[in-house]
Order: sequence, then structure tokens, then C-alpha cells
Amino acid sequence: MNPHLVLAALLALGTIWTAAWATILVRSKRAIPLDSLERSESRVRVGLLIAFGAVGIALFVLSFRWLPYRDTRVAEFGAPKIDVKVVGVQWGWSLSRDRLPAGVPIEFAVNSVDVNHDFGIYDPEGTLLGQVQVMPGYTNRLIYVFRRPGTYTIRCLEYCGLGHHTMIIPLTVTAATTK
Amino acid sequence: MTTPSRTLAASDGGVLRAAIAYMLAGFGGFLLMGLLGLLMRLDQGGLLAMPPQWFYRIMTLHGSGMVASVLLAALGGLAAAVSETTRLSARTLWIALLIYLLGTGFVDLATLVGGFAGGWTVLHPLPFDARTWTLAAALQMYVGYLLVATGLAVFCTHILVATARTYGGLAKVLAWRLAFTGRQPDGALPRPVELIAAVVAIDGIICALAGAIYLLPLFALAAGLVGNVDALFAKNFVLLFGHTIANLSIYVSAGLVYAALPLYTNREWKTTWPVAFAWNLVIVLMLANYSHHLYADFAQPLALQLLGEIGSYAVGLPSFIVTIIGALTLMYGSRMRWTVTTIFMALGLWGWVFGGLGALLDATIPINQVMHNTMWVPAHFHTYFLLGAAAFCWAYLYHVVATLSRTPDSGISRAAAWLYGIGGAGFVLMFFIAGANSVPRRYAVHPPQWQIYPRIAVPFVLLLTVSLAWLTWDVLRHIRPAWIGTRGGGGGSASAE
Repeated sequence: MNPHLVLAALLALGTIWTAAWATILVRSKRAIPLDSLERSESRVRVGLLIAFGAVGIALFVLSFRWLPYRDTRVAEFGAPKIDVKVVGVQWGWSLSRDRLPAGVPIEFAVNSVDVNHDFGIYDPEGTLLGQVQVMPGYTNRLIYVFRRPGTYTIRCLEYCGLGHHTMIIPLTVTAATTK
Repeated sequence: MTTPSRTLAASDGGVLRAAIAYMLAGFGGFLLMGLLGLLMRLDQGGLLAMPPQWFYRIMTLHGSGMVASVLLAALGGLAAAVSETTRLSARTLWIALLIYLLGTGFVDLATLVGGFAGGWTVLHPLPFDARTWTLAAALQMYVGYLLVATGLAVFCTHILVATARTYGGLAKVLAWRLAFTGRQPDGALPRPVELIAAVVAIDGIICALAGAIYLLPLFALAAGLVGNVDALFAKNFVLLFGHTIANLSIYVSAGLVYAALPLYTNREWKTTWPVAFAWNLVIVLMLANYSHHLYADFAQPLALQLLGEIGSYAVGLPSFIVTIIGALTLMYGSRMRWTVTTIFMALGLWGWVFGGLGALLDATIPINQVMHNTMWVPAHFHTYFLLGAAAFCWAYLYHVVATLSRTPDSGISRAAAWLYGIGGAGFVLMFFIAGANSVPRRYAVHPPQWQIYPRIAVPFVLLLTVSLAWLTWDVLRHIRPAWIGTRGGGGGSASAE
């Protein structure tokens, strides 16, 4: 999912809403009997209920296809070929491997020895690709396939104290696959 | 300006004075927390050098203080609106206010004196596992939250009992016969604002209980009575508490639109079947969607993750289809005049929907993977908070002050209200753009490539500051005649100019 597409969706929907809102505000100056609006209001409500209900159900069903959870990712990418153990600690990361191949399903098994952190993977251009919460007492597993080589960055995305913004580590992704 | 006729005429003067105290305390807190927000954006833009320790302390105070302030203003407005038909106890309102403010005092103490910087979400075990603040400071924060929750519970219990007594029982004030059978009740139907008051009071009490369930084990942990509190349990309950208390702000303040907008459009907002059914749905839906904050916690049961997504979609339906469409229908063709109140209400409708769109996108699990914990989160939250809930609160504050002081608002005040919308929109838009560029939230230090967003946002915040400076002055100079106007049984019969 590209975050810029999400922004484009918001701006498109927001523009439609803003135009409708502004039109109604401008027309608030007119004199229209409320009785004559009540049937239209009911039709609009029913129409919107059907439209929003349909979109909501479609989004809900579609989202099953791209859930970030283990079973969905295994179905999409296959079983993970490489396991990486990740430990978060105020304010740094420990990874069992810091060079990983592109094109291979990798399972990051993350946990924390102190407070909550969040393991956020940023691509070389600085775009967030995915994340998983790093929780004390739990091991969360994120399966991910790097599409291309480069220097990626792991950032903590859950506020974890005064050094939160410094909790960063590079991750090298190579073109070669590991047997 | 038009001062609406006969509004607040039947309200008890003592109750109105308590309600005004709530609204003014909320407005004052909002201004102070807003200034802290400006400092944070200056720092993130590289325009102010603030040590990270102070940034995070301010961030903690800004978040908790802003939620508490806007909710307080909304509760005051609700008390004033409900008091038109329902006998409330001024003493109980003052007691609830004092407990609530004592709680905010503890939060101030924890952050400003104790150095607590655990974030307003106080995500366990961070408050216990700090390097730069003491356990005492964390406990001050928790005591503050517990007192705020207690004040909220006292207020909500009083509102619930009072409205139920007025209409002959809980089922009647919630209009269950109309909502679930479509038939008219035997007795009088509550006005929408009383129905909404009962709805938010129920959720307010549940929210306060969730806060207690979160906090009591942590006090036991601090006292050494238990050895550990599970991080996932704690996160579920702190968000059931924190997310719901933030949601309450918007739903309470939406009740104020039901109360005031009819007076400015000269149209009645009836308790129809859609209104009754939708608001009864809100009781459940407001509590069902908090778990969208835990999508990245893969240990959370899948059923709760999916409930978070479908619950987030569902809660938008009654809000948009009933409240937003209802308000716009009331405005459309009504020959409504623009006053500070109607401008803020119009802005509030815009912000609630625009912020809601951002929230709905983020509530979709695959999208959340790349938007959560970025600036997208403060973006949508600030949109429906600053331009939604808070705007509705200031609309109602102006409505009460104008009605009781019988003073018309000025062209400058109306311009200031529109300026609030322009400043607010530009400010939140930069959050959205930063979020789409994956800028993390809650970072004290932004590298140069991220500083462009707060730098563009700051001038818009200054527009907000100018707007609010004028509106503050305007409210303050009318507050004395408004206070006097509460004597002798409420607002009397204010006349239209």
C-alpha cells in the first residue's frame, strides 16, 4: 500500500465533501420550506446508507486479502525462508542478522526486554513499508519480502521514552538470495 | 447578530453558572494546551531548540490536557442544554468539576514538576520503566487520571439519573419504544439533546470504569501487591479508557449542535426514529472500535482486530447519516444568519467529516500498516478535535454568552471564527501530508527533510492564535454580563435583534 495513494483518496473524498458542504452553506441563505426537504432527506439517508454500507463491507472483505498477520502472509509469500530475531530495548535494536536478501520471505520475530516499541521498516527513500508492535512478554511475528536491494532503516514507531527518536538502525538488503 | 429567543429561559441560574465555569475552564485549558502545541511544532520545524526531555513532557501534558479541556467544555455545554428541561444539581456539578480539576492538577504536577514524560497514553510499562522520572511522578499521573475519571463518572451519573427521572425511566429517556418498535411512546419524547446526554452518560460511566480497571492493578503493582501487569491487557484497557474519553468529546459536543442549531435556523430538530435508533447504536459502537489502535499488536486476537475495523466503519454511519445530514438539512434553505455560533457549527461539521474520512482510511488494517504511528494519526485526530469537537464547544460557549449577556457579536468576531477554520485547516493538512510521507509521530527531533511540514504549519497556527486571541478577549468582556444574566432563573427571554 502506497501512503501517497491514501492521501490521494482522502483528498478526493474530502474535496467532494467540501464541495457538498460549501454548496449547502451557500444555499442556507435561501428560503425553502422544511416540509419540502424532508422526503429528499430520507432518500439521501437511505441512498448514503446503502452506498456507505456497500463500500464498508467491500473494504472489510478486501482487507482480508492483505492482512499483515502470519497466516495471510504465509498464504501470500509462502513459508518464511529466513528467521530474524529482533529485540527492542530503550533505545536501540538488536537484530540476529543485519544483511538480508531481496525476494525471499523473511520472518521477523520481535520482542522487547523493557517497554513497548514498534518495529517500523522504512525503504531507502524513507517510505514506511510495514510495522509490528514490539511488546514485553510477547513475541510478534512479521513476515516481509523486500522487493529490491538497498539500505533500509528500522525506526521505533511506538513512543518509548526520551530516546525514542534515536532508536534507529540500518538494514542492508542485497540482491543475492541466501540458500 | 441574532440572539435566539427564549433559550436557557427555564434553566436554573446556579446550574448555568456551574456550566459556564466548565466551559471557561475548558476553553482556558484549550488555549494553554494549544500554546504548548505551537511550541512542539516550532521545535519539530527546527525553529526552536527544545531539549527532548522537555519536548516529551510537553507532549504528554498537551495530549492529556487537551482531551480533558475540550471534554470539560463539552460537558459544561451539555449541562446548560439539558438544564432547560431537566432539574440538575448545581452542587453536584461543582463537586464533579472540582474532582476533575484536581485530577488535571495532578497531571500538571507530574509533568511540569515531576518530569513525567510517558505520553498521554501512559502505555504500560513505560511509566514504571523510566530513566528520567520517578515512580512517584508516574503515580501522580495515574492519580490525576483516576480523579478525572471519577469527576467524569460523578457528572455522568448525575446526568443519567436526572434525565431518566425527568422522562420516567432510562428506557424512556433513551426513547427505546421509538428506537426499537418505531411507535410513539405514551409520554413525552425527550429532545435529542437529552437522549444524547443519556447515551454519552452511559458511555462516560463505562469509560470511567475502564480507567479504573486499568489503573487499579497498576497501583497494586506499585505497592508490590502483584508482580506483573500484562502489557496487552493494559493496552486494551488504557485505550478503551483513553479512546472513549476522546470520542466522548465529539459525541457530547455533537449534542450541543442538536441543542443550539434549531434556534438559529428556526427549525425544530425532532426526536425521530432515525435519531433515536442511531444514538442508541452509538452506545455500543463508541465502545467497539478502540481496538483499531492495536492492529500492529499481532498478539491481539484476530476477532478483536476485525471488530476494530468493522466497528470503526459502523460508528461513522449514525454520525454521518443522522447527525451530519440532519444538521445540513436544518441549515439548507433556512435563511440562517451567520453568527460566531453558526460559523463554528458549520466548521465543526466540516472537520468532523474530514477527520472522520482520515480515520476511516487508517482504520482499514492494510492501510494502517503504513499509516499508523505516522503523522496521519495526529492529522485525523486534530481535524475532528480542533475543527469538530472544539468548534462545536466554542459555538455553544458563544451561544450561552450571547444569550445571557444579550450582546450581539461583531463582524470582527465572525471574521475571527472563519479565521479559526482557515488556520485550523492549513495546520491539520500539513499533518496529513507529513503522514503520507511516513513522518513518524511523537518524535522530538525531526531531520531536515521532515522540517518542511511543521514550517508550513506554523503560520497557520499563528492564524489560529490571532483568531483565538480575539475570541478570548470577546468572551471575557461579555462574561460578566452573562454571569449576571444567570441570576433570577436563567437566561430569561432574550430577544432577537
